[in-house]
Amino acid sequence: MWFSTFLVLNLFRRRARSLLTIGGMTIAIGTTVALLGIAKNLEQTMMQSFAGRGVDLIVSEERKLDPLTSDIPEDLAAKIHEVPGVEEVGPGLLELVNYTHDGAEMSLMLQGWEPGSFLFDDVVLKEGRQFNADENDVVVLGVNAADALEKQVGDTMTIQRKQYKVVGVIEPNSFQERGLAFLPLAELQRLMGRPNSVTGFSVRVARSPGVETSVDDVRKGINALTASDDVPVRIAAVPTAEFVQQSPHIQVSRAMAWATSLIALIVGAVGTLNTMLMSVVERLKEISILRAIGWKRTRVASMILGECFVLSIVGATLGIIGAGFLLRWLAYYPLTKMLIQGDMPPIVILEGLTVAAVVALFGGGYPAWRATQLTPVEGLSHE
Amino acid sequence: MSKTATARPQGEILIETVDLIRDYPDGHVRALQGVRFVVRRGEYVAIMGQSGSGKSTLLNLLGGLDRPTSGEVRFGGRPLDDFPSLDVYRSSQIGFVFQSFYLLPTLTALQNVQVPMFEGSLNAAERRNRAAELLELVGMSKRAGHRPHQLSVGERQRVAIARALANNPELLLADEPTGALDSRTGDAILGLFDQLHRERGVTLIVVTHSEAVAAAAERVFWMRDGQETKGPDRNK
Repeated sequence: MWFSTFLVLNLFRRRARSLLTIGGMTIAIGTTVALLGIAKNLEQTMMQSFAGRGVDLIVSEERKLDPLTSDIPEDLAAKIHEVPGVEEVGPGLLELVNYTHDGAEMSLMLQGWEPGSFLFDDVVLKEGRQFNADENDVVVLGVNAADALEKQVGDTMTIQRKQYKVVGVIEPNSFQERGLAFLPLAELQRLMGRPNSVTGFSVRVARSPGVETSVDDVRKGINALTASDDVPVRIAAVPTAEFVQQSPHIQVSRAMAWATSLIALIVGAVGTLNTMLMSVVERLKEISILRAIGWKRTRVASMILGECFVLSIVGATLGIIGAGFLLRWLAYYPLTKMLIQGDMPPIVILEGLTVAAVVALFGGGYPAWRATQLTPVEGLSHE
Repeated sequence: MSKTATARPQGEILIETVDLIRDYPDGHVRALQGVRFVVRRGEYVAIMGQSGSGKSTLLNLLGGLDRPTSGEVRFGGRPLDDFPSLDVYRSSQIGFVFQSFYLLPTLTALQNVQVPMFEGSLNAAERRNRAAELLELVGMSKRAGHRPHQLSVGERQRVAIARALANNPELLLADEPTGALDSRTGDAILGLFDQLHRERGVTLIVVTHSEAVAAAAERVFWMRDGQETKGPDRNK
């Protein structure tokens, strides 16, 4: 018999309690993994969007990393283009508007890009076409937006009281962008009353064979533009990975995920602690017998912690499976499908299992210590 | 029927106590009052006395389950304090048999016998083989796959004896091993002790109230009020 077999059989003795503890851990770890999965998805999807089209730097208004609050003159693009090492500059305007669908109010993210911009490079055209430079009243939808809004090529939609014709449905690399509606940049500026205004620039650094251009040098070059008298706002160029890490949306989603998870984990740890403490108290005599027949203190501690680990890992596994199903379901649910990708990043699974192990250590640590403090004769005193 | 403490043991001293005192401060009780007790290798000794005479306290101290207030226990001439720990002493030298068996209910007989072996160096297959051998020794090989609730009380005690032998101890300590058994089953267990003693040379110390157990032993160590006495106290 393996020691692990012994631990599992011990847990079978208190089936109801073991199942309830596993249930608590399943909910705690499932919540943690689901929330962290959503936050991680958001992060990965932003990285995908930049990597897919070879964007190295994001330029936005200094100290305004939230694209929605950044406001930069569009004609700064020309100056950025002049910085040595810059290959492409793609201006973009991001806006969040209310949209009425089937009588219900919802939020719709609008992205204004120049027709023919390199930002469309990684986009797969699923249906119809992209907009042309001479078009105004047209919109191209990301696949998830088209699906959620039940629109296809040829349909019309009213955005901010103006009617647009859907001319194409696209599938960008980035999951996040699949939920956007794309308008020509100039048209979106007009619609939102922001002439010559963009929220940021995507910058691609030149890479010719044999010549390694330093992204950091280009960054410094762009940031130096701020010192120029004819640049009216302070701008900051940030590498894409850093931009994603600093993004308020990412930080808030991550903080929310951990904060909510922490509560769930405390509940899980207290539940496990309670179960194991009860188990130790109920088994004082048994533990004494085990000590009497030759078990060392460390073996007793291993038993208690081992039982705790089994409960935690079984709960965590079920929680991870449950979270996987939840994310899949949210990815298909109409209200959330534009925001949530159904994938479960492996790093999140690893985090979930690590957290479960830590919870087991906290939940089982005190009961294990208490069990080791018991002298064999104490438990046998009723003999 | 009863034997005196004057029977002549043979062989070298396996375990002895020197001026053993054990106080229980909570109850202001001196359970042992300077007991000197010697058992030689291969002996079969019964400890008898009335309830409260200190028999079980002495057994606990011999088995390293408890520490004396003063005096010492020596095993093979070596004070127990010289062992790396009492845990090591118990796991390497001592086997315990209890009145209530204390088998783990979710484990089969075969698995119960393997429990003490987790502290040893045997792998899972070796533990299983050794447990099977021990169950055969105590006549329980056909019941190896049964859980305690599927066994009779006599069978449970046989499994408990096999468990006590798991780590091949020098000394088997039994506390009222037939106390929960009817006389016929008790006789069978005594027969098993006798067999272990004769055929395997196991040194046995048995705490008992039973005259039958005492009769099976080579020597009886009588106790009263925490001290050795010459024989049974018929007045109490």
